[in-house]
Amino acid sequence: MKKVARKARKTGALLLCTTILLLSACGGGASSNQAASGEPYDENSKANISWLNILHTASPPTDTILNKIEEKTNTDIQFSWIPDASKEERINTSLASDSLADIVTLTLLDNSSVRNSLKSGLFWEVEPYLNDYPNLAKISEDTRRSASIGGTLYGVPFQKDLARNGVTIRKDWLDKLGLETPHTTAELMEVARAFTEDDPDGNGKDDTTGFVDRSDLIYGAFKTLSSYFGTPNIWEVSADGKMTPEFMTQGYVDTMDYMKELYQKGYINQDFAVTAKTDQQQKFAQGRAGIYVGAIFDSKNLLNMAKGIQDDMELVLVNDITSTGNEADRAIWAANNGIGGLLSFPRSEVKDEAELKRVLKFVNDLLDEDVYALMTYGIEGTHYTVDDQDAATITNTDLWQQEVQPFSASRPKESGFKIHDADPLKKESDKLIADNANYAVLNPAYSLESETYNTQGSELQKTITDATYKYILGELDRAGFDAAVESWKKSGGDAIIAEYESAYKEVQS
Amino acid sequence: MAKPVNVSDASLLKHDRQAVRKRGFGVRKHMLLYLMILPGFLYFVVFKYFPMGGLIIAFQDYQPYRGIMGSEWVGLKHFVRLFTEPTFFMLLRNTLVLFAMNIVFFFPLPIILALMLNEVRHKFFKNSIQTIIYIPHFMSWVIIVSITYVFLTVDGGVLNELLAAVGLPKISFLTSSEWLRTVYIGQIIWKELGWSTIIYLAAITVVDTQLYEAAEMDGAGRLRKTWHVTLPAIRPVIITLLILKIGSTLDLGFEHMYLLLNSLNRDVAEIFDTYIYTAGLKNGQLSYSTTVGLFKGVVGLALVMLSNRLAKKMGEDGVY
Repeated sequence: MKKVARKARKTGALLLCTTILLLSACGGGASSNQAASGEPYDENSKANISWLNILHTASPPTDTILNKIEEKTNTDIQFSWIPDASKEERINTSLASDSLADIVTLTLLDNSSVRNSLKSGLFWEVEPYLNDYPNLAKISEDTRRSASIGGTLYGVPFQKDLARNGVTIRKDWLDKLGLETPHTTAELMEVARAFTEDDPDGNGKDDTTGFVDRSDLIYGAFKTLSSYFGTPNIWEVSADGKMTPEFMTQGYVDTMDYMKELYQKGYINQDFAVTAKTDQQQKFAQGRAGIYVGAIFDSKNLLNMAKGIQDDMELVLVNDITSTGNEADRAIWAANNGIGGLLSFPRSEVKDEAELKRVLKFVNDLLDEDVYALMTYGIEGTHYTVDDQDAATITNTDLWQQEVQPFSASRPKESGFKIHDADPLKKESDKLIADNANYAVLNPAYSLESETYNTQGSELQKTITDATYKYILGELDRAGFDAAVESWKKSGGDAIIAEYESAYKEVQS
Repeated sequence: MAKPVNVSDASLLKHDRQAVRKRGFGVRKHMLLYLMILPGFLYFVVFKYFPMGGLIIAFQDYQPYRGIMGSEWVGLKHFVRLFTEPTFFMLLRNTLVLFAMNIVFFFPLPIILALMLNEVRHKFFKNSIQTIIYIPHFMSWVIIVSITYVFLTVDGGVLNELLAAVGLPKISFLTSSEWLRTVYIGQIIWKELGWSTIIYLAAITVVDTQLYEAAEMDGAGRLRKTWHVTLPAIRPVIITLLILKIGSTLDLGFEHMYLLLNSLNRDVAEIFDTYIYTAGLKNGQLSYSTTVGLFKGVVGLALVMLSNRLAKKMGEDGVY
């Protein structure tokens, strides 16, 4: 008996050893790699840089542009792409398992685990270094503050346009029905009615609606319309420091009523609550609707998609709609206060200051005019041509989509360069987006901390989102919506308000 | 296929029991058998039992960069939160209702279909039917939900156009709580019905043909033969599959439900799997989502043990 037990123990020990050996062998591969790249960097040497990045297109780019970027920045870049749709769990698991890269693109700064890991010191603090690099030094103080967490900047901020949303309308339909471009919400409603009822495509069939929207209360129509009704951007702060969430304001209710009217009168696609973005754009491109509310630059995409299906399509872009008709009431919400996220550098990968400096140099180089042109338009002659006014025209759209477009979301800065798009619609949308910045409504709570929001915020938000949809579709009345708000307050909302108020007071003092 | 293995196992066991009494586990004698079991054993230890250790983060405020050793212990905090969450009973109800519907409406169908296929005498016809009904199993939920969307949407969906054509009001299948469960079970039936018949068909083929002949002698028709011969013969298989099915009770399938879920049907569509994803993984609350997962697992285990005991009471073998 004893002998057997000993034997079993021996076998067990052997097994364990094998397992450990196997495990350590796997781990060993990774660590020896790091050792190789951990040698001190000369700022101008060729650098190996790995980058955990977010992919907004269906497939990752081919190497054509990458090789050019590597050449320009004197680096060897290794991308790990995370599809945008699954970035939350992928980034969270990467943080949890410490499988990061030299550069990590963090776009969800309000996610609690992202925040916690930033605050824990997992990443380098970069503010002291920024001014040493010509392009990074230009990042404005405002942007640096907005992108900070607890007053510290844990990465190079992505500089996005402040407010990119507006309304895209079928110009040819307006002309056909003898309508003016709308500038108030009431006029917009009238256009929606006419597009639905007056047969704007002239085919004699009742097959069009005014709006086409998707199942997204933020990047779809709802939030942009809510700005037109004077709703604050997520939070409103009063002069004496009281915080109010947007859905407790009159503007929010007015927007819901507006959407409800659109829905009940059939001026919007009846299935908008389950429509995906691609379906929404397809419907617009197929001429089944004439009003699209979303990012203004989507207009170019819509026109492209309509080629061959709706060749008469002409679009007009509108960004000055108000509910009152007063220029003074113009407002448009700013997504994440214009911060697209951070390019962060984990201490586990970027071992020392010398290495950090080399990586920062690389980010700085990405902001150079010619690298920007590469990541935006591609290679001159292959993907685009440029005239003497620096206006670029993309000549091979298919190739551009394949090789260049995936990089566009990785640009640390998206505007303010000499080279610009020659496409009139793109030019117009760039102009309106720049104009929007003057009326941008910021979220005063964006860089504030609330523990309850971090842990339960998105669960709580579901209560409100659900109630909003139900109100619009007529399944809830005002009392029902108010009950949902009450339940939000009770299950944690009151705590969030209190925490934000005290955090706000701290920042102000 | 399961049967013969069991028989040899049983005789081996008897033999082994004597061996064990004499000299332990008989490692030396059955070295080859032990070696053969080793890869499977290792697989379970490394990939199933070892990761279970991670469950202790349900009792911590787990922070990835601090690791399991460095994270703070919080006792039952996350369990208290789960049970006091206003949505808890909704989650439990939705999960159990969908599970019950799954058992009641879906489970008997493959058996019926298998019995019907068994009656088909034309070999080529039977085989082609079988192949065709297997196909949906290999489609992903994304495709199936998209197909359903095209059929059911109120904006030009085929079914709603038909309803409108005959003068009936359109039904918003996708955005109403009333239709969610029907659509959900319907999709499962469409996807898995054919595939689930495989095991029953296999079980039916081993039924002793003498029994059928004897039944025929007694003047039994097709229905009688099915009822008195085929069904009793495959009863152990049915019971085993039922228990296994119950074991995966709370695994209703995250992907499927996540694709159907929206703001307007959440009150019946939110189940533990989707809740773990939104509350846990998306928000990065690893400890809390582990707690929910652990709770789900415990309920599943309890249900398996219960149904196994019931099966044994009713004179069946059970799964263990």
